Amino acid sequence: MSSRLALAVVACATAVSAAEPINVGVPIAQSPPGSVVQGVQVKDGLEIVKEMVNKQGGVLGRPIALVYEDDQGIPEKGRAAVEKLINRDKVVAIVGPHQSSNCLAEIEVAKRYDIPYVNTNCWSDDVRKKGYKQVFNPNNYNSRAAFAMAETLAGLGVKRVVAFCENTDYGIGQAKAVAEALKKKKPDVEYRYDTLDRTGKDFTPAILPLRAKPPDAVLMMMLPPAAYIVMNQLYEQGVAPTDKTWLYDGAGLGDYPDFWQNVKEAGKNLIEFGLYHPDMGVPKLGKEVGDAYQKKTGHEPNRLIFQAADSLLLVVDAIKNAKSTAPDAMIKAMESMTFSGVRGTFKFSQEPGVGYQQWVDIPYVTYQFTDVGQPVSKTTLVQGPNVALAIDKLKKAK
Amino acid sequence: MLSVDLFVNGLIVGVLYALMAVGLSLIFGILKVVNFAHGEFYMLGSYAYTLSAAALGISPWLALPLAPLVGGLVGWLTERLLMRPLYSGYSSWGLMKDEYAVVVTFAFSILLVNLVNKVVGPYPQLGPALVDVSRLRLGPILLSGQKLVATCIGVAVIVGLSLAVRATVWGKRIQAVAQNRLGASLAGIDTARVSSAVFSAAGALAALAGALLAPIINASPDVGAFPAVKSYVIVVLGGMGSMPGSILASLALGVLESFGAVYVSYDYRDTFGLVILMLVLLVRPQGFFGEQGRVV
Repeated sequence: MSSRLALAVVACATAVSAAEPINVGVPIAQSPPGSVVQGVQVKDGLEIVKEMVNKQGGVLGRPIALVYEDDQGIPEKGRAAVEKLINRDKVVAIVGPHQSSNCLAEIEVAKRYDIPYVNTNCWSDDVRKKGYKQVFNPNNYNSRAAFAMAETLAGLGVKRVVAFCENTDYGIGQAKAVAEALKKKKPDVEYRYDTLDRTGKDFTPAILPLRAKPPDAVLMMMLPPAAYIVMNQLYEQGVAPTDKTWLYDGAGLGDYPDFWQNVKEAGKNLIEFGLYHPDMGVPKLGKEVGDAYQKKTGHEPNRLIFQAADSLLLVVDAIKNAKSTAPDAMIKAMESMTFSGVRGTFKFSQEPGVGYQQWVDIPYVTYQFTDVGQPVSKTTLVQGPNVALAIDKLKKAK
Repeated sequence: MLSVDLFVNGLIVGVLYALMAVGLSLIFGILKVVNFAHGEFYMLGSYAYTLSAAALGISPWLALPLAPLVGGLVGWLTERLLMRPLYSGYSSWGLMKDEYAVVVTFAFSILLVNLVNKVVGPYPQLGPALVDVSRLRLGPILLSGQKLVATCIGVAVIVGLSLAVRATVWGKRIQAVAQNRLGASLAGIDTARVSSAVFSAAGALAALAGALLAPIINASPDVGAFPAVKSYVIVVLGGMGSMPGSILASLALGVLESFGAVYVSYDYRDTFGLVILMLVLLVRPQGFFGEQGRVV
């Protein structure tokens, strides 16, 4: 019996590998100046799911093949990458995009060719507001992060808040979204944001003026490596985190594998907006993906792994539901299907605006690092999907 | 008080710019080419220091000299393998294929960035501090121990180099080749050796800057782009090939950026240097210390 089963599995695997693969396009940053750190994690998440799907016989009897293009985090390169993937590699969908400025350029191409585009990690609200039927957003968005941050800031009772945002669609978008959210949640807060160059290396002149009159909170809306440099320089100048000033990161840096190697003391007492915390719980499939990632890299799983995994699973489910790889049929399937992925079950909202084709209630967490080198699993969870915001758990630096 | 802070910060940044720019200026003085891979020498120094300290588990003070050694070696190899074919056999600058140097060094820069990205990986890495003091108060000034040490070493190296170029035999050879390559070779100076030495020294200086700044500016494959762009502005501003000009322009740019970022706008920080460059070129096209070209 067992030999028959083994034979059947081998036969099935042989049939899958012999069948023509379904190409899925992945435009990500694999070289600077884009966020290669994000690109690597997105790739890791996608590869894990690809292997899982192909091991189980692929989809419609065909294996999934991921075709990568390096977009370097540069919008015009991203645009060209998506053009190439669609025309040269005949991909049936795009997954993996992770930088908002690139997403905004690339969705124009996806729209023109009517190809499903699954946004893996572009937070800019504008990606949704365009209202393109080809674009699906199973990830976080700036308004959502801004809402969470405003709620925490209101709870902290802060009066003056300064934000440092990078000069990208993501950074400026989040800074503006926080302004809007604070107006609603706590209108008496004096809030301003400074835009910093994402390729900059010395931010001391932007930080020095804060020393004379420290704000109650400094918000960070930047990606590495610039974000790490800003944090270290804030710490060096004694601006934040201190017994007077909170340091609050809105970009989810805390679960990057290289976080502690780059910030050390400057990361202690950091409040973190995040999209994954081991205590928030994930479905069985999420656990499998997380374990596979940990086995592969030795790092704790993080949000990008799960977001990438869901992006590809979404395409796989769309093909299964549509019983076809025709773009139109896949788009229709994604519009209407209820998707159960590695982070939970949801259906895309069709409401125009920032919620268009978005997982609107995407779960998020707020946590705080209380020690240098602390892994996310050991941090204090202040708020989560099943944990009400507990401000009293937050500790100021001494 | 803020002004004092900004002035000191500007000077510190200026010293570190100078470490980069002086090497670039020397190369231009000797070979009359712009080395577009100069930023990558900085990047290699940054990694050589960070990785050797981490991988070998040695003291940062022992790892520090490795950076200029690596930078110097790569500089020497660059000159021998990539630059020498451009001018060997030519006795006159007019005949040198110097336009190829732009393409060659630019391509070399892209190669090094991508090579490091693939071999070492994309993750930024903070180097270990030479002095593990996060905050040091000097009167009204607050800075890290690393910044202070890096600045002191930077000043010492720049002063030492300036004296060496003025007072040593090798310095005089460099001056001679910079003034007239053909004349220098007729006087018995091995101009090819001088070129090699200058490229090595420039590589070593840039790599040393990378190592000194690695605990402040995380090593990453593209970390060299930022100081390189500043260096190009500084070299033109100070006068192409002029070492004192480069040093003065570095300090001026550091201070200008520091004040401009606060009193004008941080958004335009990188444009201040370019605006000043344009203004200086309008009034004094040869830069602060450059000599006006003449055709005989």
